[in-house]
Amino acid sequence: MTTTFKKVGPPQLTMKVRVGEALLLTGFLGITGTLLLALLWAPSVSLEAFESPAAQRIFYWHVPAAWAAFIAFGALFVGSAGWLFKRSERMWRLHVAGAEAGLATGLITVWSGCVWGAAEWGTPWDWSDVRLNTFGLLTLLAVYLVLGRASQPDGIETRDTFAGFGLYGFVLVPFTYIATRIWAIRHPGPVVATGEEGSINGDMGLVLLVGAVSFTVLIVGHLLTSMLITNSEQRLLHLQRRMDGGER
Amino acid sequence: MAKVMLEVDRITVRRGMDVVFTDCTLGLQSGQSAALVGPNGSGKSTLLEACAGLLTIEQGEIRHGAAPVVRPDGARRASPLLHGLTLQRNGAMGSETVEEHLRTAMSSVGRHTDLQPWLERFNLDHRRHDLIAHLSEGQARKVAVLAGLLPAFVAPSPGLVLLDEPTTGLDAKARAQTLSWMGDLCQRGHALLVSSHLDEVVDACSHTFDLASLQLKEAAPRAVEPATTPTSMSVTTEPLAKESGTQFGRRQHFRTQAWLSTNGVAALLTLGVLLVLGDIGARISGSQTLALVLAPAAAAGLVGEAMASLGREERCEDWRLALGLGTAHGTPMIAALGAGFTALAGIALTGSVDIVWVTAGAGLSAVVAWAMGVLQRSVRRLARPQAVFVGLFTPVLLLPYALLVDWLAR
Repeated sequence: MTTTFKKVGPPQLTMKVRVGEALLLTGFLGITGTLLLALLWAPSVSLEAFESPAAQRIFYWHVPAAWAAFIAFGALFVGSAGWLFKRSERMWRLHVAGAEAGLATGLITVWSGCVWGAAEWGTPWDWSDVRLNTFGLLTLLAVYLVLGRASQPDGIETRDTFAGFGLYGFVLVPFTYIATRIWAIRHPGPVVATGEEGSINGDMGLVLLVGAVSFTVLIVGHLLTSMLITNSEQRLLHLQRRMDGGER
Repeated sequence: MAKVMLEVDRITVRRGMDVVFTDCTLGLQSGQSAALVGPNGSGKSTLLEACAGLLTIEQGEIRHGAAPVVRPDGARRASPLLHGLTLQRNGAMGSETVEEHLRTAMSSVGRHTDLQPWLERFNLDHRRHDLIAHLSEGQARKVAVLAGLLPAFVAPSPGLVLLDEPTTGLDAKARAQTLSWMGDLCQRGHALLVSSHLDEVVDACSHTFDLASLQLKEAAPRAVEPATTPTSMSVTTEPLAKESGTQFGRRQHFRTQAWLSTNGVAALLTLGVLLVLGDIGARISGSQTLALVLAPAAAAGLVGEAMASLGREERCEDWRLALGLGTAHGTPMIAALGAGFTALAGIALTGSVDIVWVTAGAGLSAVVAWAMGVLQRSVRRLARPQAVFVGLFTPVLLLPYALLVDWLAR
């Protein structure tokens, strides 16, 4: 008996894939530009106010990355709630995408913060600083969700458990934001939305804005692309189960 | 009119990626027994565990009597009527003795009776004080079946009994005795839901519930008459306080010495590292000294709660949760370890014992171990709970340690 295989060509790129990839590319170019502006154009901070003024330039990646991480964790929260309360497959895909995006931006934030802390404080981490630790917990949560999903078979028990963690993680987002207002131990206070006039210099604000927009575009592209990849995984799983005869 | 003991109201249950059943409805009244029938994988155990409150349902509601016990929003209530449960796994830790496990089961209904005649019927009387880990598989199964039936026999009023494959692994005599006891429980007004693929069990029940058609049918007159029951010896009962999770956890910690071999060893190793540092007290600040003195207590808590992992053995923790027996833990013992090692570290580093520091060490180890226990238990529904990385959250549990040091040093 001869088995014939249908010749399958490369998948057609949908509009969504193109939008996601275009946003990813634009965002990547934007954050690269932000880095160049931060290193070559942005004014230096006061030499008296900081131990290591040069290291302060990392702030143009650190703050926008933290902003993007909050967007990612927001997506994680919405996706987790949507799965738990609506049993929506789309919301589960958003949960997965939020966790992956949160991991990427969380690691950038933590890494850049550690570099700056080492230069400015003399130590990369302070265990008694609430904001550092709550943000560290958020990033570890993202690591846990991404690695955990890879270690478990897909199923309602897996999704419920990880979505529960996703909801819990979001509680830390406002907590992390207000942490330096409540326990101002080491981490500098907020530089945006402080309500104080002239909290940062105009040129600094421009670079920061470019960074924030770029990271936002990057994270939206990441979310869209990741959701499409998860969708493809789910379709593949569905097809495999149909071929197994186990689909109910 | 017979009292309704179990109402399964249009429930949908999913497991993995499968919808096991949809719109499943089942009602059991006092004195009825229903055998769940269907091929392997049809959902017999799933329905039984959903009725025990161990599974999440997607739609519908499960009521024991008039009380809703499982709802699709995840809300669960302790069942006022669940008077016995035997899972496919035995639900007992290997470090319990036969007598302890059966008394724990009976404590769920607040009464107990003399175990001797019951154990004699199962030829287990000579094993009464043995650890369950030392029994053969068949003997351990007999204990699990007794733990599912005895609470109903000693309960002050009729209730619901859930049995999953109760006769599998038993010898012929024990199988006959089990079926006989099941019949006797029905005569006493209890309702039984039994999962089995054995005809003799199905024949012993007044009804069958087919998982394919989701229909409850009255069975032909039963083949097994309730006969040789210890009721002829009369079941005299006495009050028995419900055993709390703390009491159970303490007993198991002492029996296995898990508190010393996990939490204690972590604290001891940390103390050892501090001693290797030598006389450093004069070279560091007060807050740094305090941080070092509290480090063994923090380490004792960070290794977690041994009961969380031991409770996975034979689904012991699930069995306890379904019967409303509480979560086993050894927090007081871990707190004592934290206090002891803080005192030792204080002597080693400062030459004195500060009662405030010792109290803080006790609280720190208890809180951190409790938090680790919550994390360890949060993954119990996963297919591979040992393959997830709850340890990733451990570094952040240093936060209460650091805040405590900061606060005490002021």
